[in-house]
Amino acid sequence: MSTRMSTSNTAPAAERVALAGVELEVLRSGAGNPLLLLHGFQHLDPASPLVELLAREASLIAPSHPGFGKSSRPDDFRSVYDLVNLYLGFLDTLPQGPVTLMGLSFGGWLAAEIAVKAGKRIGKLILVDALGIRISEPTTPDILDIFNAHPREVTSKSWHDAEKFAPRYDDMEDEDIIQRSQNWETLCRYGHHPYMHQPQLKRWLPSIKASTLVLWGASDGIVKPSYGQAYAKLIPGARFETIPNAGHHPEIEQPEALAAAVRAFLKS
Amino acid sequence: MEAWYQCEIPYPYVDQKVLDAAPSVRASLPNRYCDPKIAADLFEECIDEFLLCDDLGINVIGIEHHGGINSMLASNPMLMSILARQTKKVRILSLGTLITLRPDPVRVAEEYATADIISRGRLEIGFVKSGGSEIASSNVSAIDNGERYWEAIDLITKALTSHDGPFSWEGRHFTHRHVNIWPRPYQQLPRMWSATGDASTSRDVGRRGMVHTLVLRGPEGTKAAYAANIKARAEAGLPPSTTDLFSYAALVGVGETEEEGMRIGEKLLWFLNTSLKSAPQFGKFLPGGPPPWAAPSIYRTKPRAPKNAEEAAKMAALKPSVATQGGMMGTTPEMAKQQGILFAGTPDSVYKQIKDFHDYVGGFGHLMMIGRSGPMTHAETEKSVNLFAREVLPRLKEIKTVQAGFNQ
Repeated sequence: MSTRMSTSNTAPAAERVALAGVELEVLRSGAGNPLLLLHGFQHLDPASPLVELLAREASLIAPSHPGFGKSSRPDDFRSVYDLVNLYLGFLDTLPQGPVTLMGLSFGGWLAAEIAVKAGKRIGKLILVDALGIRISEPTTPDILDIFNAHPREVTSKSWHDAEKFAPRYDDMEDEDIIQRSQNWETLCRYGHHPYMHQPQLKRWLPSIKASTLVLWGASDGIVKPSYGQAYAKLIPGARFETIPNAGHHPEIEQPEALAAAVRAFLKS
Repeated sequence: MEAWYQCEIPYPYVDQKVLDAAPSVRASLPNRYCDPKIAADLFEECIDEFLLCDDLGINVIGIEHHGGINSMLASNPMLMSILARQTKKVRILSLGTLITLRPDPVRVAEEYATADIISRGRLEIGFVKSGGSEIASSNVSAIDNGERYWEAIDLITKALTSHDGPFSWEGRHFTHRHVNIWPRPYQQLPRMWSATGDASTSRDVGRRGMVHTLVLRGPEGTKAAYAANIKARAEAGLPPSTTDLFSYAALVGVGETEEEGMRIGEKLLWFLNTSLKSAPQFGKFLPGGPPPWAAPSIYRTKPRAPKNAEEAAKMAALKPSVATQGGMMGTTPEMAKQQGILFAGTPDSVYKQIKDFHDYVGGFGHLMMIGRSGPMTHAETEKSVNLFAREVLPRLKEIKTVQAGFNQ
């Protein structure tokens, strides 16, 4: 097992929440105003530095999407439509008052959808290398086709420093590899078509009420910073910042810088 | 036993250096390497070979693959309609449209009904679950491939057999609210086939009474799939299966001498050794392809030994193409013959190989001969097919239809 995947004894334990027929695995840590964090291609590692860093700033609540991690996925739960409705219901289980919603990559797409629908319930919105919209003309793929591209290309475009941060399967235990493979399949189920976006979402981004920060790994080759800039322009008052020395996963390559940007935004 | 001829109309003329350098010769190899004049010549030769089969009493099969050198038959119903008009006597089997790749099965039903009309009722309809490179070429995902397969077949069957005006279909995967195809098929319902080797689909094929085809699966895999089919049918209380509900597809090369037959066999093996090269994202990493439990051996660059015999058996049962990248590459004619994926040699020898295989797996009523592939020439193909028709086929026809699974 690689050090990045290891679960230390100090990592917070996940709770199980039953909601809409789903047994949801939810990681909770820290105190203060709620920060709902929606993960990207892989579910959140409880031992990742980001969890500890964000728990210093807020009451971190990080569910694994149905079919990811230990969260169940009922047979009739099949789409981003289901995910958005699930999390709208999940918001109702949180204490009254504005919630900070943060989404990474695929989870950024969900966060944008939820922010459109949940109105003032979302006080602050943080999108990190988010997917979910189409910007370019038809022959320019906005988002690398991670399912049809060669795994070598997906790796090289995912990371600023792939040598250091790309997963090393040879060192992992069977159960971790199986879990990652299961996550990948679930991601494909939700995001295959239309590929990693909802064609109508762009139209509704201007209606987002939350104060918004769009953060982007400067070296992201899965979805480029220019896409993030265009995304930010569609959300009223959104600020766009890049995180140096990070690819598509700043939460893994630059957790301190990411947490610092979140901290500054929460205090603003 | 009936014999059927198939040729995938491959394109074996891309420079080997280009193929060696490409991560995949399917789905992503640029089509600038396809010379349209050569492609036209190949289609002309291959369609002539199908017509030769019509003269010789060998039924014909059209298959479908997408986006690669292994086959230029990207649209099965187009070949079906040509054969429907150009042949006069033999049965014509579509094996088949890669149905889970098509957004609207009703269009496929229309195309099949038309081909059945043109052939005056000589069409048979088969379905194959698509492979990973085809899935990429067709903008779909492999997830729920099995569900889409059966829903599409149900919708096509209903479209072909409903004659009382429009019906509506709003299923999980396909929606078509106004189905009323013209023309209706010439036959009430063409006989239906399914090519599959996995146990779960084999059971469904048995319960549905479709003709069950195994393609290049060898004696053990074929026997196991047939057995799953027969058992499921018996458990469902259906009449016992007869051998005409089973078929086997293999590479077949017939020569005047053993050596000549094996030389043809070597050329046929181009299909396995060269045309299957596929990038890992279209095979072992395909979401919805290999089961998650197989991930450790797939993801690791240095797979660990199986923990126990049960794990080793599970891995061995995976299709070679998903368990390891390009699992069938490097197969020699002798190995292929040993594995029951190539029947090659003199007519006597080829007949004996087929008969032995037939007896070992418990009987089948249809031999699907893959009779041309790779660098085989038109002349070589015609010679092999002629020898087969003259000296092997009459003996195969002597093998009567009996209850299947007689060796179980």
